[in-house]
This record gives sequence, structure tokens and C-alpha cells, in this order.
Amino acid sequence: MSVSLLLQSVLSGLTNGFVYGLVGLGLAAIFRGTRIINAMQGDFALLGGITAALLLERLGWPMALAFACAVAVGGIAGWLMELLLIRPLRRRGGSEDSYLLLTLGVAFAVSAFVLYAVGRDSHSLPGLGGEGIVVIGDASIRTHAVWLIAISLATMAGLRLFFAKTALGLSMLAAALDAEGALTTGINVPLMRTLTFALGGLVGGLAGILVGPLVTVYFDMGLLLTLKGFAAAILGGLANPMGAIAGGVTLGLLESLAIVTVSSGYKDVIAMVILIVIMIVMPNGLLGRRLRKGG
Amino acid sequence: MTTAQTTKPLLQVAKISHSFGGLHVLRGVDFGVSAGSITGLIGPNGAGKSTLFNIISGFLTPQHGSVQFDGRDITRDPVQTRARAGLVRTFQTPKVFAKLSVRENLMLGCYRHLSSGVGGNMLRSRRSRLEIEQMQAQAAETGERFGLGDVMERPAGQVPAGRQRIVELARGCVTAPRLLMLDEPSSGLNTTEIEQLRELLRQLNSEGITIVLVSHDMRLVDVASRVHVLCFGSIIASGAMEQIKRDERVREAYLGI
Amino acid sequence: MSPVRHAIVWGLAFALWAALPFAATRHVVDLLVFAGLYTIAGLGVAFLLGQCGIVSLAQSVFYGIGAYCAAWFCVQKGLPSPVGMAAGIVLSTSIAALVGWPILRLSGYFLALATLALGIIGQVLFLEWDGITGGTLGIGGIPRIAPFGFAFDTPLRFYFLVWPIALLLLALHHNLLHSRNGLALRAMRDSPEAAAVLGVDIHRLKVQMFVLSAALGSLAGGLFAHYVTFVSVDSFAIDRSISFLLLAVLGGVYTVWGPALGALFITILPQWLSRLGDIHAFVFAAALIAAVILLPEGFGGAIRNWWRARAAK
Repeated sequence: MSVSLLLQSVLSGLTNGFVYGLVGLGLAAIFRGTRIINAMQGDFALLGGITAALLLERLGWPMALAFACAVAVGGIAGWLMELLLIRPLRRRGGSEDSYLLLTLGVAFAVSAFVLYAVGRDSHSLPGLGGEGIVVIGDASIRTHAVWLIAISLATMAGLRLFFAKTALGLSMLAAALDAEGALTTGINVPLMRTLTFALGGLVGGLAGILVGPLVTVYFDMGLLLTLKGFAAAILGGLANPMGAIAGGVTLGLLESLAIVTVSSGYKDVIAMVILIVIMIVMPNGLLGRRLRKGG
Repeated sequence: MTTAQTTKPLLQVAKISHSFGGLHVLRGVDFGVSAGSITGLIGPNGAGKSTLFNIISGFLTPQHGSVQFDGRDITRDPVQTRARAGLVRTFQTPKVFAKLSVRENLMLGCYRHLSSGVGGNMLRSRRSRLEIEQMQAQAAETGERFGLGDVMERPAGQVPAGRQRIVELARGCVTAPRLLMLDEPSSGLNTTEIEQLRELLRQLNSEGITIVLVSHDMRLVDVASRVHVLCFGSIIASGAMEQIKRDERVREAYLGI
Repeated sequence: MSPVRHAIVWGLAFALWAALPFAATRHVVDLLVFAGLYTIAGLGVAFLLGQCGIVSLAQSVFYGIGAYCAAWFCVQKGLPSPVGMAAGIVLSTSIAALVGWPILRLSGYFLALATLALGIIGQVLFLEWDGITGGTLGIGGIPRIAPFGFAFDTPLRFYFLVWPIALLLLALHHNLLHSRNGLALRAMRDSPEAAAVLGVDIHRLKVQMFVLSAALGSLAGGLFAHYVTFVSVDSFAIDRSISFLLLAVLGGVYTVWGPALGALFITILPQWLSRLGDIHAFVFAAALIAAVILLPEGFGGAIRNWWRARAAK
């Protein structure tokens, strides 16, 4: 294998990896805040991506506005989902598998709705930096990919600051770690949960507009993204949202490596096998922090 | 009720040490339980009783040391293997099968003695049908004995907590255990109920069931022939109840905390 | 209910079941055949969820294996249909045992997502290994099931093949539920620690149930292949697993006949909705969400509870 092929492979692995990491970040943040694994995290990306596509294609909105709106739609979807679906289930005493079935149901619903409303075609999104490329040695990546990596890192740093320094972030963290204690200090714990989902939705929507220009947006992209994001989250340690980025990059690089050594058709199979192996062998992530098995 | 020095103990715990994260919870715990006895395990909170219990019953693998049951090393055996060998325990908060009726809870006590496979079950083989009859009969008999006749058909989760404890105990007895380990069986019970429990334990013991009891309730532990006092992870005193009550170190351990 | 009344009710039900395909159009009977196939595959998913608390999205893989084995052994090798179906079941159960052993140690979310990952692996492999499966072009010319020259080649005839099998399997499931192991399975859900303490080997039982579930999926797939005589990868993608899960949840996983109810629902409903376009997938998903929140025991459970409440008065 030539160096340039390897380099190209690393670059594309990094790019995909940061997308997985972003999805994983949202997943882990929601898990930490509510102990629910959101099986429709990838569909937040779908919602964000398709919103951007429609606003750009059909309404001709300027790119910045469309993208901002798309991310907002993700956030609103998360907010609504918690308020209208998760809370009622909570009230009726949902068990772990019922939350899973619920989020799975929403995943299918979003996918089916997009299918019905927009059809099976894939929609492409314009990249940040247009069609520009950045050349590194013998390999190249799109300028958009560089933006993607930068934005992902900025999001991670931003969220870290948010949870560590802002009043709202600290309240959300408090509500996540000790709901009863937080209640006694006057924190509106149910609201914190809703906001957690909204945050997950925002991050998911962001992932959507970032990945859209690279792989196009289509109605059943959600499930695979969710699974890969989940793998990223586990690798990083489910209770540690920031670790998901590192986990995602690891997964992306492994996937790329697999593509050049095996075959591109098996890309997803390999990612899925990696996911299963991770769950069995290191459910606490690369750093091996103590966590209840099975989340 | 002295133990014969020549017979091997039914349960032998040897040099058990365990720590969680740098905290040493158990340090070199050694003791034996002879068949047919009632043994008490007492100690202040945080002494390591639950950890020791979990290690003996199989919910935790010790970092050092071994557990022998009936001559076999069971230190690494999974919980159900120990159960099949006759080592059965109850839990501090009673774990009944909430959605199953009390009757079905008791029926499950027979599980380890029966052997029908899933295939036979589906085809309603003769063995399957006989097993169900056996389970029903045992459940009915034990239910009567423990005074559960009036709640047999109720989902076990809807029975008041004190009686749930009885259900759990009754279910444990249906298994016809060789060694029955009881984890704080008296918490939540009033004086009369504790007295009834004492009587029950004596009865079970007289039927040949070896009992190990973890409790902080002295009235209950009184029924034990031998008591070990656990403090900060090691056994500081062993002997008959009277001896223990007079032991200086024990008084210090309890009063000093 | 007195035994005589009991017998009359069952007799009427049987007569209704037997007469139905003659009174209905060929198209409806075709749907009923699919309902039967889905009942079998869905039963596998239903008891995993209801008795073991396991959400499985891998059933499409075993369904596909059953179908492709039937196709391969009969079309490529010219062997009679029981061979193909048996081979499918052997292959499916072996894979289920091999893969199930490690992954069934996982619990809750992890396990469910592992089965989803399996479903996707299956979907891709069916596509990639087109030497065996024919890929998107599929395999055609699958012969009918024809013991002693009597071919099950019309929807009407197949109805009388698939439904007795489905009903038999439901009866076997019922027997299992009311047996020692069935009790243990239900106990395992409520308190795994207490079950272990009574000697129940939880992991082993879960693997056995997973293997059984795979066998059902495979059987349904084999029958499917011999019914439609042409199979291609589109039938064995993740959305097939989703359909099975959906019918299990909607029909109710705590009643024996829940899967049949759910299967009927998901085969009949798209017909009703076909006028509105490709909307049935969304309606199904909405129904799943509604069932999870409002009717956790599914239609079957709701009906049973209503019946019991009536009887109690």
C-alpha cells in the first residue's frame, strides 16, 4: 500500500471519524443526562440535513441561514421528543426496553416521514468552502472536511466549557448526576432533562449539515449513523461525552483502514463487527472507567 | 452444640481479601461453618458483611482467598452453580418475582431439582407435566406452612414488604438447601415477627438445614450456636453468643463507632 | 365457561378460520398467507421480548438464511424442499448459538443495538455474497412444496399449510410458558439475581431462546421462499426486522396469540392505506410509539385485560 493511499485513507478516516464522534457526543450527552440511549440520534442528523437541503433547494435561502435553521430544527425535535414522548412514558413507568422501543419507533417514524414527504432521492448539500480542496502531500481533502474537523473540536470544547462554567450547564450536570439532590437545590430537573435532549438534537442536527455535503442526505441514513455514533460513544466511555470524539476518530480510522485492506462494500460490516466487539470486550471504553454493564 | 473437630466444615472461607478501588473491605477473613449449625455473622456497618456474603454466594469474585463448599472449591463458580449445589441465599431487600404470583414464586423453588428441557416443555412431555404437579404440590405445602395461604394468587410485588420477606424465605426453603444464607432477615420486622422468625430458623435447623445469618439484631443472632464478629474487614472474635457479648474488643468495636 | 360451550366456541372459531379463504378474494388470501408467515417469524421476536426482555432486530437475518437455503438447495442442487428448510434451520440455529453466546451476556440497550448491528451485517452480506444469493437480481424458480404430488401452489392451498404450522407453534409456545422453564423465563425478567440463586442458568436459557427464535425465523423464511418462488435481498433488509418487532409489540408480547394479531395488523393495514401513498411505514412507526406509551401490552394484552375485567364482574 502506497504512502499516498495510506495518507488519503487516514484523512478520510479522520473526517468520517469526527462525524461519528459528533453523533456519539450527542448520544453520550443524552445518556449522561437521562440514562436513555437515544436510538434515533442519527435521525437528528437526517432532520438537520434534510431541512438544510429543502431550505436551500426549494426556498433558496442563503447557506448560513439554512444551516443555522437546520441545527435549530434538530434542537427543536429533541425538545419536542422529550416533552411529548419521553415524559409520558416516564410517567407511566417505562422500563429500559420500552425507552429503547420508543426511540427506535421515533427513528423509524422520522425516516418514514422523510421518505413519504421527500422521497427516496438523495439530496446534496453545499460544503463550507465550496468545492475547494486542501492538499497534504500526495493526498487531499475537501476544505469542507477541514471545517468539519474544526467545528467538531470547537463544539467539544464549547460543550466542555458549557458544562463546567455556565450556570445552566452546571445545573444540567447536577440534575444528571444526582436528580434528587438537584431538586432540593431548586433545579428544575425535568426541564434539565428536556434541555439535554434539545442539546443532543442540536449536536445531531449539526452533524447532519456537516456530513451532508460529504455523503448526501437520504431517508435511511439515520440508523447506521446512530450505530456508528454509539460505537464512538462506547469507545470514549459512555459517561464521558467528550470521549466520544476520540472514540469516533478511532472508529473512522479503523473503518478507513478496513476499506483499503478488505473492500469498500464491507465497510459497514466491519464497523458493525467493531461495534459488537467493543461492546463485549470493552464496554467501559478505551479508558476502562467503571460502569454498569450494558449501560 | 459443639462441632466435632474431625468432620470437615460444610462451608470453609479461607483468607478472603478484597478491596474496592484502594479501600480494603476484607482482610484475610477465615472461618468455617459446620453442617447442621446456625452461624451468625455480625459487625458494625461498613465492616464488610455484605461483601463477604456476596463472595460466598457468588455475586462477587474475591481478589484473594478461597471458598470451599462441601469439599469443593467454589470460589469462581457462578451463582447458579452454587445454588444447584445447595447454597441458597436471601437478600437484604427481598427479591421476589414481582409479576409472578406468590404460588409461582414458591413453585420456582423446585427449579434446581428438576430437569426437563425446553423442548420437552414445549411438547408437554410426561416429565414436564409431572414436574408442574410436583411444583404445585410443593408450593401449596410450603405456602401453608409459612402462613401464606391467603395471598397465594396475588402478584408477589403487591404483597406487603414484611410478607415479601416471608415469601422469599419460603421460596428458599422449597429449594431444600444444604446451606441457607440469610442477609439481614429481620429488617422491617416487628418484635413478634422476629420471634416467629427465630422459631422458624430453629425449626429449619432441626430439619437439617445449615444456616448462616447476617444480622445486626442481637435478638435474632441469639439463635446462633456460633457467632463471628466482623470489624473493618477482619474477624475480631468468634465463639458462642455469651462469650462474644463479654468480649472487650467487640464492645469497643460497637461502642467506638 | 362450561366444557360444552368451550367446545362450541372453539368449533365455531375453527369453522370460521377454515371457511375464510374460500369466501375472500385471492388477494386477501394472499395477505392472510403473509400474515401467517409473519406470525411465525414474529413469534420468535415476541417471546424473546416478552419472556426474556430482549429486543431483537436480527430476525431478518435468519429469515433470509431460511429463504436462501431453501432457494439454493432446491434450485441449485435440485433437492426436495424439506432438505432446504432443514438446512436453513440448522444454519440459522448454529449461527444464533455461536453469535448469541457472547452477545447475550450484554444487557438492555447494548444487546438490542448488537442485534441491530447483526441485522445490518446480514443485510450487507446478503448483498455482497451475490454468488450464493443472487444479490439484487435474486434467485427465481424456487419449486413449490409438493409432498406426494400435491403442490401448495395457490394462496388458498398455502393458507392451509402455513396457518396450521403457525397455530401449532403458538400452542407449543403456550406449553412452554406454563412449564418449569417458562416460569423461570418470566422470573428472570423480574429479578435475575433471585432466579440465579434458585439455580436458573440465565445465560444458557437466553441462548436457547435466541436459538429457538432463529429457528422460527428460518422456518418462516423457508416457507416464504417456497410461496413466492423468487427471493431477492430487498426482502431481507433491516426494515424486515423492524416489521417483525413492530408486529410483536403491537400484537402484544405477553399473550400467546399476540403475534397473530400483530401480523394481521401489519399485513392488512398497508392495503387500507395504499390510497394515501407510501405512508404506511410512518403509520406503523407511529403505531409503535403509541403502543409503547399507551398500550405496553399491545392489542393482545389490552383485549385480554378487558376480557378479564368483564369476567370479574
